[in-house]
Amino acid sequence: MDLQAIHAVPSSFIRRWIFSTDHKVIAKQFLFTGLFFILYGGVLAMLIRWQWAHPGQEVPIIGNLLFSRSGGVIGPAAYNTIFTTHGLIMIFWAITPILIGCFGNLTIPLMIGARDMAFPLLNMLSYWTFFVSGVMVLASFGVELGSAGAGWTTYPPLATNVGMPGTGQTLMVLAIFTTGSATIMGGVNYITTVIRLRAPGMTYMRMPLTVWAQWLTAILNVLFVPVLAAGAILLTLDRNFGTDFFVAGALGKGDPILFQHLFWIFGHPEVYILILPAWGIVSDLLSFFSRKPAYWYKGTVYAMTAVTILSAVVYGHHMFTTGMNPLLGQSFMLLTLIISVPAELLFLNWLHTIWKGSIRLTAPMVCALGMVFVFGLGGLTGIFLATISTDIYLHDTMFVVGHFHLTMAAASFLGSIAGIYFWFPKMFGRQLHEGMARWHGWISTLLITIVFTGQMIAGWAGHQRRLFDPYQYKFLEHLLPLNRGTSYFAFLLGAVQLVFVYNLISSILRGKKAEKNPWQVGTLEWEIDSPPPNYNYDPIPVVVRGPHEYANPEALSHLGRDWLSQTEPLEPKELPKAAGADS
Amino acid sequence: MTGVRLARVALALGSAFAFVLLGSALAQAASTELAGGNGWSLPPDASVDGWRIDWLLKVTMFFVVVLFVIMTIWIALACLRYGKGHTAEYDHGDGKKQVTFALGLSAVIFFVVDGNLFVNSTWDTHTAFWDFDRAEKHPNRVRIEINARQWAWDVRYAGPDGTFNTEDDIVTLNDVRVPVDAPVLIQITATDVLHSIYLPHMRQKIDAVPGTVNRLWFQAKQTGRFEIACAQHCGMAHYKMAGVLTVLSKEEYTAWAANASANSMQAYDPKDKAAHWGWSWNEDRPGLDKSAAAEAASKAAPSPEHGATPAAHGEHK
Repeated sequence: MDLQAIHAVPSSFIRRWIFSTDHKVIAKQFLFTGLFFILYGGVLAMLIRWQWAHPGQEVPIIGNLLFSRSGGVIGPAAYNTIFTTHGLIMIFWAITPILIGCFGNLTIPLMIGARDMAFPLLNMLSYWTFFVSGVMVLASFGVELGSAGAGWTTYPPLATNVGMPGTGQTLMVLAIFTTGSATIMGGVNYITTVIRLRAPGMTYMRMPLTVWAQWLTAILNVLFVPVLAAGAILLTLDRNFGTDFFVAGALGKGDPILFQHLFWIFGHPEVYILILPAWGIVSDLLSFFSRKPAYWYKGTVYAMTAVTILSAVVYGHHMFTTGMNPLLGQSFMLLTLIISVPAELLFLNWLHTIWKGSIRLTAPMVCALGMVFVFGLGGLTGIFLATISTDIYLHDTMFVVGHFHLTMAAASFLGSIAGIYFWFPKMFGRQLHEGMARWHGWISTLLITIVFTGQMIAGWAGHQRRLFDPYQYKFLEHLLPLNRGTSYFAFLLGAVQLVFVYNLISSILRGKKAEKNPWQVGTLEWEIDSPPPNYNYDPIPVVVRGPHEYANPEALSHLGRDWLSQTEPLEPKELPKAAGADS
Repeated sequence: MTGVRLARVALALGSAFAFVLLGSALAQAASTELAGGNGWSLPPDASVDGWRIDWLLKVTMFFVVVLFVIMTIWIALACLRYGKGHTAEYDHGDGKKQVTFALGLSAVIFFVVDGNLFVNSTWDTHTAFWDFDRAEKHPNRVRIEINARQWAWDVRYAGPDGTFNTEDDIVTLNDVRVPVDAPVLIQITATDVLHSIYLPHMRQKIDAVPGTVNRLWFQAKQTGRFEIACAQHCGMAHYKMAGVLTVLSKEEYTAWAANASANSMQAYDPKDKAAHWGWSWNEDRPGLDKSAAAEAASKAAPSPEHGATPAAHGEHK
């Protein structure tokens, strides 16, 4: 039986657009839900920055709506909820659905030449499970005592009913469990699809780096999200069923540090989960828009694989100050420093890809270069935190926050935007306003750099994280101007995103029609219509080369263009010997 | 100018602007170092071993800035020189020489920058921060037990008898006084949630974990009043869980300690179990000591289960 039969488009609206099994529809569902939550999380960020710029002052415009009981002013409990939910929402309900839910779903079948995912029904289930988790998150804001407030890291005993009684925290922990389940479903699907449904001739080493990254991300998800699930279950048992896995001291015989181990065994791979897809997208885009092959493709594959493997054994660097055995700490330090090497390597590959290219500063390219820039800065600052002695000082300061915002928020964010700008024509059959998109990418990169460097400077000066009013500490009083300046740039950054939203909506509704291959790129999806038919390919394409054949002199002389698609034979001898070859 | 050229110029100018902004920020921070601690620099270092961390931070930051500048210039230059008019080079970058160069460059950066971090951190932790034996052996060393709770620091000194949890213990709230030029050893736990004692001017920090006793030590090199902060989110008033670290001269410290201890003996109430939260000092036992912590915790909580247990009164070392 053909794994990839062509079936008709569903006739009912509900089966076509709501409960769809088409990976392209599901990708859009993840995209829009993710974009909703990124706006939600962004507003939460603006509230944090407001409090640090003008502590104790009424929040303008929306203050009385949100904080009516305190006269429009953010109070300490509300503040704790704000930074907690900002982190959780951005990680699990914004970046994950956009980078992995949307781009994994969209790119994997299309770029490997498949008609859909290996398990379309499971795919649909994964979106709706995720949707339910989103509803739980929103619900948690409406309950008495508010939503979660123990930090996104949810450390017990604060996250147990010792520190955070109330349904909100419980709902949030269960929401995390639920979205984790959705992620595992998706991960199983992505892994299987890449292994089983690659088109004939699409060897692993001819896959676009976007797909490699999604595949490695899915492996990490499937391995480590269950550990988070275990931690969430144990925490829920502590909260609601009187156990004391993590409650210690007077109140129990558990160990709060056990949670930290469980959390970070997940948590560190999670940050690579959040960046790998962006690395993959950018690796491809830099090649496409430098009109030059991706420099040392295999090296990038090996580097991403090495990072994937090593990500499991570095997690202890989040726990250097917990009083762990010094030998253990030093092992984690060494491994964390080592993991920087493959990351360096793929960074160098990026720099070499663009050098001596023929760079087209399209919107996706501007965002990709922006991502390279912010990731370079963010990645470099990680080494301070990998090292035990410097981490004694920097742990739990804004330096950490600046570091992970530059790597996660900035790089993953710009990677997502780059992906949206790049695949928009394919997804929606329309073009975005290119000028608006380019300026958005450029200005966002600049403002992102300023805002998160501002955070790192505060951390360097000793400013801790998660402070409702930092200026209660004398040694931080003088940082008010720095924080205020950072906040104003952050408000500007937020405002600039409205340009993106406007561009997106207006182009979806009335953008110019897009052609099949507006970017002149050789990967498989650009040979079919924009948007593609529900079955993607008919017939399944046969692949004869890798995805980065640009500036090939033979193509230039025979075909008069600087690119080759993955399927077009250059000469008769290019055709593969046996169709349907699996490798 | 076409849109693309405009974008290229903007990119170049913008990169330069961002670079200047960052450079000036770092220069600000660096210059105010000398002014001793306002502006965006590290807080003034009042400890004997803090310079190790500061040195490593600054040297590494120098490397980071150099690499960052190279990266920025590389990207800007590439965009300016290799635009649409330039013919791209057909290079897959997988030739033997190229691969060797890429691996070699990564290795060099790793051994120089990361290697420097690793070697210095290991040296510093072994010869200073984790060298509790050396601190313990010092004749003038001071031992302090701290119980962190929402949202204050209970502080306990052993008093003249040198034993914790006896009548002559000095117990303060948010008030740590130490002599200058003598090692101060702190053992710390918590009773409710995680906290983390953070001494910015001593470059020290360790988590306070319920059910565990952690430790740190430092030696102050100048007198003065410094801040004790909490560095682990612990709930509503985490932001104002401040204490005061006062570094006194040896004479002032001795006078204070004697006075405070005498006051303690007068105020001692054998029936106030919760007040006797101290534990017998963990000696030569690196890492966790759950029994001592449990001992501490059980005394701190006035629950019916534990209330009947007599306090470990007059315990010997």
